[in-house]
Amino acid sequence: MNLRCQSCGAALVVTEEVRTTVCPYCAAPSVVERPPSLDRPEPTFALGFALTHQSAGERVKHWLRTRHPWSHSGLARASLQEVRGVYVPAYLYSALAMSRYSASIGENYTETETYTTTENGKTVTKTRTVVKTEWRALRGEHAEYVPDVLVTASRGLSNAELEHLEPFELRMLARYEPALVAGWVAEEPSLSRDECLSQAREEALARVGRRLESFMPGDSHRDLKHETRLEAESLEVCLVPVWVLVARYAPDKPPLRVVVNGQSGEVYGKVPISWVKVLLTVLGVAALGLLVYLLRQGGRS
Amino acid sequence: MTAVVTGCERCGSALEVGDLRCPICALAVAQARERGVLPEKVRAKVVRCGTCGASLEYSAEVKAPRCAFCASVMHVETTADPLEQAEAFLPFTVDVAAAREALGRFLGEKRFFRPSDLAAAAALRSLRPMWWPAWGFSAGARVSWAADSDAGSGRSQWAPHAGQVGLTFQDILVSASRGLTERECGKLAGHYALGGAERAPRGPEEAQVERFDVTRSGARRQILAAVEAGAREEVERTHIPGRHFRNVHVAVVLSSLETRRYALPAYVLAYHYRGKVYRVVVHGQDAGVVLGDAPLSWAKVLLVVGAVLLTLLVLLFARC
Repeated sequence: MNLRCQSCGAALVVTEEVRTTVCPYCAAPSVVERPPSLDRPEPTFALGFALTHQSAGERVKHWLRTRHPWSHSGLARASLQEVRGVYVPAYLYSALAMSRYSASIGENYTETETYTTTENGKTVTKTRTVVKTEWRALRGEHAEYVPDVLVTASRGLSNAELEHLEPFELRMLARYEPALVAGWVAEEPSLSRDECLSQAREEALARVGRRLESFMPGDSHRDLKHETRLEAESLEVCLVPVWVLVARYAPDKPPLRVVVNGQSGEVYGKVPISWVKVLLTVLGVAALGLLVYLLRQGGRS
Repeated sequence: MTAVVTGCERCGSALEVGDLRCPICALAVAQARERGVLPEKVRAKVVRCGTCGASLEYSAEVKAPRCAFCASVMHVETTADPLEQAEAFLPFTVDVAAAREALGRFLGEKRFFRPSDLAAAAALRSLRPMWWPAWGFSAGARVSWAADSDAGSGRSQWAPHAGQVGLTFQDILVSASRGLTERECGKLAGHYALGGAERAPRGPEEAQVERFDVTRSGARRQILAAVEAGAREEVERTHIPGRHFRNVHVAVVLSSLETRRYALPAYVLAYHYRGKVYRVVVHGQDAGVVLGDAPLSWAKVLLVVGAVLLTLLVLLFARC
């Protein structure tokens, strides 16, 4: 798609997936405005970046140095490339959850029972208190608002990655303005609204399930089943700030993608494992085991 | 002062200027200001600085869009979180002389453990009229509850129960005062005529207004906690069967929550008796409500303890 730069009139090349661009001639940052559609609504909210380029890099370097002992040894010396601040589109979902549940509630009680045992060669009868559980059926209704469910609307950042970066501080929410994303990369939603809605409902239901788990009375419970209707749903596009970096840790390996929460600085990436280190550890443990075994054998003979 | 603008479309709770989402159910608030027509065709727009006309960029350092040339920062609409301020003042209907009299009556009360010369020997040290801050809320709530109680129990002494109930709260006061204790606020709260609230303070000239030292979001957290505590209390009192219970869980769906920020009149008095200072609070609208500390007569306490011990000893010897 070709657009004109409002500053110098040069032609701008903008792909469908982005909302922002920078003019290659005059460096003026532009924000693209498109007629909204069902799958690409106008963003309602945006969370501004609070973490600078430099501090994002430092966080990632620290994160790379402090991975587990079996991670690839090149990580500590990895060079960071292509550090980009991206406003990732996500859907902010909320609803009223109305549930009917049934469960077996365990109520403990104590009983005194007699038993026989052998003491000093004699059989004696003794008593002891044991805790037993009485199971009672419980049915009921539960209603609560489920606020602040955030799901990705971008193919670039999976929902699992977004979950690792959460929570975002939603109190800092701002109403979307082009000025908030000017000069940064802002993506358009690339997942359909329906896909995101079902993902959000799934998350909301999982949250209700967890709430019900802690709502149950008794000393324990089992067979908790619930039927939940989500009513008065709302779904709004919110742009969330994410630093995306590429770490090169070995010349023969593909680079590692690391994402950072642009507000809190939470870092996430899939740490490559060094199989050589794992193998050495296994061999070491096996050798130690063998040594102990041999020493014991030697001690017996 | 923040004014109520409208109600939330989902839960009917009152929204205030600066709310982007409903604080109760998290529904987005429809945009109040006109943003212009939605774009009909695709175009690239350069956001310009209102001061010098250069292009703006969002800056993570200042957490706002900033002009790289003149460094002016553009304001964007975010959730406002101002410090709370009283909007409804209750007038003093008890004057300074009446408050003094109330203290006199309090000191003159005949209590066994009080020193008998208290009314004569106590001297007023200070009398401070003040308005203490409190939130008043009204709301409807659908409360789901689950608990163990002794009703219907079998082998175990507990049996599970659950239910759902609709409750309404009307003008419940939650204290925001640091000067008065929670117990004092609780006792004063029941005696105010909330209907007679005025927009400006009216009372003794030297009266001070204690500030709400809390932001709006902090206030909402305290109010929600108070609603939940109120719901739990009500459920425990009237809805859970049986006499003893444990594991009481409540889930609350609020609707039509309205809060008002009150300034409530009271007198804080201090008197000293034998070198020690004691505090008394007199209600600003009902001189009959007086709360306070009074000294103990240790001679009387010792006398009673001695008498009890003596009686026990006598009883013991009588048995032997």
